[in-house]
Amino acid sequence: MFLKAIFIIATFIEPEKFGANPQSMLWLLPLVAAIAIIYKATKLPVIKAGNFIKEAAILFGSIVIFIVIAALTLHALAWLISG
Amino acid sequence: MAPLSKEKQTLFLLVVGLLAWLVPGAGHFVLRQQKRSMIIFATIVLTFCIGIYIGSIGVIDLYGSTPWYVVGAQVMNTPMVLVLGRLTAGEAYPVFGWPNEIGQIYTSTAGLLNLLCIVNAVYMAHLRGIKVPGG
Repeated sequence: MFLKAIFIIATFIEPEKFGANPQSMLWLLPLVAAIAIIYKATKLPVIKAGNFIKEAAILFGSIVIFIVIAALTLHALAWLISG
Repeated sequence: MAPLSKEKQTLFLLVVGLLAWLVPGAGHFVLRQQKRSMIIFATIVLTFCIGIYIGSIGVIDLYGSTPWYVVGAQVMNTPMVLVLGRLTAGEAYPVFGWPNEIGQIYTSTAGLLNLLCIVNAVYMAHLRGIKVPGG
């Protein structure tokens, strides 16, 4: 039990090792999920499991789709400018 | 239920705001919004923990070179961040590069989301205070 606690604490005092690669962009997904959940938790007048999950999922999807569209647009612009 | 006097109402709003800052979701809990408070608590704590898991507690750098707006956002999570800040003072847990940035983004976003919840809890308490019985 004590050893388990030490291992858990150790994971919070040593940073993860990863660089700025395309896969590291996936770290945005949990953050977008947190934003969608908190926003819907403060906005919905009544919290019901089914409705809440549906609303949060729609917002999550909308944000991700918008980010993808923005990324594709910027990529196309960069490609046009740089040739 | 009789409406509270103006002084009591102001004190109540302050207590709700302070509780919401001390423990994420506690402001909604005292307003008997248990589901809302559980969702807020779980999401804020998990987001903050992911941040310090990625970048270590070194991302809480209150006395170092971290910009004031990042520190301010991190402190909005809970005052316990100040205790973590004392632990990490003097480059005790150095963290650089991408993990530092991702960790700071997660912890400061969790703080800003908690600020949104604090404002929401105070607003809900205010609405409850001005609601006239039968009105």
